[in-house]
Amino acid sequence: MSDGMNRRRFLKVLGVAGGGTAALSGCSTDRVEKLVPYLVPPQDQVPGVATWYASTCGECEAGCGLHVRVREGRAVKVEGNPDHPVNRGKLCSRGQASLQGLYNPDRVRGPMARTADGWEAISWDDAIARVVSELGSVDPSRVWFLSGSETGSFGRMIDAWLAAAGANPRVVYEPFAYEALRHANRTIFGIDAIPHFDFANAHVVVSFGTDFLETWLSPVQHARDFADGHAFHEGRMGKFIHVEPRMSMTGMNADEWVAPIPGTEALIALAMTNAIVDGQLATVPSDISRVRGLIDAHTPDAVADRCGVDAETIRRLAREFAAEASLAVAGGVAAQHSQAHITAQAVNLLNYVAGNIGRTVRFDADQARGASRYQEVARLASAMGSGQVGVLFTHAANPVFASPAASGFTDAYQQVGFKVSFARFMDETAALSDLILPDHDPLEQWNDVEPRTGHHALQQPVMRPVFDTRQTGDVLIRVAQQMGGGMASVTQAATFKDHLQGEWRTLQQRLGDRRDFTAFWNASLQAGGVWADAPAQQVRLATGASSFTDVPVWNAATGENFTLIAFPSLAIHDGRGANRPWLQELPDPVSKITWGTWVEMHPETAAEHEIHDGDILEVTTPNGTVSAPAFLYPGVRPDTIAMPLGQGHTSFGRYAEGTGANVYSLLSGEIAGFGGLSFYATATVVKTRGHQMLATNAGRSRQMGRGIAQAVLLGELTGEVEHEEEHADHAAPVPEHIEEVLDAWQESQYEEMEQGDYAADNPRWAMAIDLSRCTGCSACVTACHSENNIPIVGPELMRRGREMSWIRIERYFEGGEHGEPLETRVLPMTCQQCTNAPCEPVCPVYAAYHTPDGLNGQIYNRCVGTRYCGNNCPYKVRYFNWFDFAKEGEPFHAFPEPLNWQLNPDITVRTKGVMEKCTFCVQRIRAKQDQAVLADRELEDGEIMTACQQTCPSHAIVFGDLNDPTSRVSQLSQEERGYHVLEGLNTRPAITYLKKVRNVAEA
Amino acid sequence: MKKRAGLFSAVLLGVAASVVVAAFASAGSAQNPQTSSATVPVDVDTASLRGPVQPIFYRHDVHVVDFEMDCRYCHFAAEVSANPGLPTMSTCMGCHLIAGAGNPEVEKLKTAVAERRPIEWVEVHQLGSFVRFPHHRHVNSDKGRFEGLDAAEKCMECHGPVDEMPQVYQFATLKMGWCLDCHIESEASRDCTVCHY
Repeated sequence: MSDGMNRRRFLKVLGVAGGGTAALSGCSTDRVEKLVPYLVPPQDQVPGVATWYASTCGECEAGCGLHVRVREGRAVKVEGNPDHPVNRGKLCSRGQASLQGLYNPDRVRGPMARTADGWEAISWDDAIARVVSELGSVDPSRVWFLSGSETGSFGRMIDAWLAAAGANPRVVYEPFAYEALRHANRTIFGIDAIPHFDFANAHVVVSFGTDFLETWLSPVQHARDFADGHAFHEGRMGKFIHVEPRMSMTGMNADEWVAPIPGTEALIALAMTNAIVDGQLATVPSDISRVRGLIDAHTPDAVADRCGVDAETIRRLAREFAAEASLAVAGGVAAQHSQAHITAQAVNLLNYVAGNIGRTVRFDADQARGASRYQEVARLASAMGSGQVGVLFTHAANPVFASPAASGFTDAYQQVGFKVSFARFMDETAALSDLILPDHDPLEQWNDVEPRTGHHALQQPVMRPVFDTRQTGDVLIRVAQQMGGGMASVTQAATFKDHLQGEWRTLQQRLGDRRDFTAFWNASLQAGGVWADAPAQQVRLATGASSFTDVPVWNAATGENFTLIAFPSLAIHDGRGANRPWLQELPDPVSKITWGTWVEMHPETAAEHEIHDGDILEVTTPNGTVSAPAFLYPGVRPDTIAMPLGQGHTSFGRYAEGTGANVYSLLSGEIAGFGGLSFYATATVVKTRGHQMLATNAGRSRQMGRGIAQAVLLGELTGEVEHEEEHADHAAPVPEHIEEVLDAWQESQYEEMEQGDYAADNPRWAMAIDLSRCTGCSACVTACHSENNIPIVGPELMRRGREMSWIRIERYFEGGEHGEPLETRVLPMTCQQCTNAPCEPVCPVYAAYHTPDGLNGQIYNRCVGTRYCGNNCPYKVRYFNWFDFAKEGEPFHAFPEPLNWQLNPDITVRTKGVMEKCTFCVQRIRAKQDQAVLADRELEDGEIMTACQQTCPSHAIVFGDLNDPTSRVSQLSQEERGYHVLEGLNTRPAITYLKKVRNVAEA
Repeated sequence: MKKRAGLFSAVLLGVAASVVVAAFASAGSAQNPQTSSATVPVDVDTASLRGPVQPIFYRHDVHVVDFEMDCRYCHFAAEVSANPGLPTMSTCMGCHLIAGAGNPEVEKLKTAVAERRPIEWVEVHQLGSFVRFPHHRHVNSDKGRFEGLDAAEKCMECHGPVDEMPQVYQFATLKMGWCLDCHIESEASRDCTVCHY
């Protein structure tokens, strides 16, 4: 064996230290790596080749289909299932981050029991025996079960289990349970369902506060449909009007933002209905006579003052709404305040008179059926408080955190005799329990979900459980077996998987499928589930609709008070994503703030109170006080403030605890008229002396004439309005003598292009990003983290500007001052792979260089960390490893075991002192090229997908070969709307942006 | 060729005893005693051989020459994957349920399998995690030095004369210059991002 530190060894040690493959002890040369064989070859696994398993995302109720990429027995990436009817191959940030639920270092690692001084690890047999003993000693009427939304076999099994035990019916807690929508649909149409909203076929969409591109119902599907229905395509596009006191990310995509007085959306919807009926703008169904009095009383003129929107605007909206296929939706927190069901009822009427029911609003399939109303939870809380609950099981719900402190749930919970939690994390509810029986992660378990009627989707384990956890279904079966008696009849199956297969046998019969069951089961597993259409329903006004006579509105704050809007975070939602570092580090699409809570306040209001970005504000409601830094946002009414929910955990894990503030403590625990919670409150704001630099990766919110995110009016493209070129300030003409120098330099560049690999017939990888389709949802950002082993840096480094995220969504405000309407633009910014790249000539070691296929390559093992390239990059898309993020024991270690299991083995884990950047997922390019060469065929256009493109719900990103004139990217790059960011620098980027198109009359 | 086919089918059927004996008898007659003989190894000082000492003195030379086993029998993924694959213990036991009984090295294997304990082989060819060597692209290539070679010969271009190695050692330097020599000769790409990403 050759010894000694030769150059290669030296580099190898440098490069591998802290890498995914080995733990190194210092800088030693006698490193011994072990190759450990399998005892028995695992099924379907070839080393070095990924196996893909179809499953279903368990992060929200939308039930998107997954393809999970498994390498050597470990899940390393999740992607959407292209054949799944809900998401068609796409995923949101939360879906991408489901891996960090699986590999979360703060998972409960085995069953635990509370002792006098903390927690004690116990065996599963012991844990189950304790449950059996407690259940046997308590009257069944004192047994309760609180779960999260469950729409499939598991939920039904819990119900059967509770019924067999003689216990109370299951209570389901979801803070956002769409109660107002159901209530309104019962009242107006007599149907207890949530219809399908067809954004793809609506040319005019009016959203009354609905954040349908963020968290509402099925955001991935909505994003695709919305982009299809709204984005500019072949000379036409839809129009989207957002009506809400706060411009959410969904609202940022609107052509027009209407900001009414908080809570008065119902008045606008009714006045629009009035204008349509009165002006006979549509064929109004005759049974509208049931609510004629109500409609007649709400003319645009009558409501204008009350809602703060002038009558002419309302009439114009009504005309536009009635003229084309349209869709109105009520939702988001605008449909979750004390009078929100009225808003939803009014919007139902608006859709009804415009003829949208049965067309863009279809009641054929019900959605989000898993949750019960908050008032059931309140009933449980009152039973607990009065000592009537002997045993409470909690599964996938965290009401101690995610319910208003004022509801008294936490105190009541502590009155329960024996509290059993099936939590996967030590969340606030689990921390107060007596026994924790940790459940599998959705990626480790067998289950099914029915996100909408007729869609049956399967979950299957994609790998062996990471920890000593057990699927709750199996635990319930064991408990039932040991209880005996009536409980033994809950299921004949020995395991939950057997039980699930039993349910699917029944389903197969119901579907009339005549195949052998194994064939049906395997086919369903491969496809991710079975999809059947629910029958269409004729919908008329219910007789009960005539009871809709009064229009009470939210009592908006006046004077020194503000209306506080507490909204669900796109990434963290109601708080359940708070311990996923990717989601914490994902800049909020509106504020661009990471790792924390903030208070959105209008700049004019802030100026009045001398408040600046980052000043700590004390927000007080009758229920509590919370401190958070201010974020000045022109997209919120001057009389309104807004705060995101989900932060401020006291127990949940290292990333969640101590981050931000808990906004639930500001909310009222009262049950609204529709049986749900209210996310609006009246608040006062006091500026404290504190100040905190916001942890954000955003620079200026204004473009300052740089022409980075460009837009064009629809009329300019159709020739109706004269085209006005949007000149970036710096794009001044180049003086002649400079031009000569540049030409000569460029010539010399092309001389080199004749040598070696450069002379060959190479592709030119390029990207086209359609800003008319990009919604700013940031799914690409998380997908990039997942694909490219990008570390998270935490709030401190974020504040120092040392973020590592290779792709970011830049958000710019236009207007919004001096009475001008506010327009928001978003632009995904990643390495532009410039042809004349400023980064390349300044690298002293050729680590940054131009590849023959047009990438700006970054060779990590060459890089010595001068950072010249980063200095010279005008797009700020190069990221320097200031620390050994992947090395245990180093500061800012980003991959504590087992988070490092997720690392993609196909790309280097970078070490300290190395510059890194986007290379269009070069590992994916090379993998597909390898496959094509081995199969002796040409690559097809669209075969290579970058991670950002692969997950983009609205299909905004297209990647391909610019040297192939037939490729989609070539064609898009030549579109009239195409431009390059900072074109005047002559960098000649490979990314062509297609201008956003605004469907408004004039700029 | 004939013999190898016979050996393989017998192994697969698990009734190999007589054929294996025949193979033993026919092998090793004119070989260098240190490099190949089916009856060794017993008392060999493995530390004196080139290459890292392995937990079991597995003889590549014996398996390749005497039993004429193809590299891909054990390194089964070399043609389809970047990673050539390491034989699973049950692959070993396919033959060693019967073959080699009594050989102390084989007994080590059997003991490990009985205890369901994987053998921790010492990696001989270590590449940094910043470089990719896709085995499938090389084994399936007919360019340059690989022209006209069969699979085993291609393996040996980089791994050296494994058929003469009682204990495997690193044959090539695995330095970038060594890679590039071949890439230039065979007109393969010399772009950095072909291997480094």
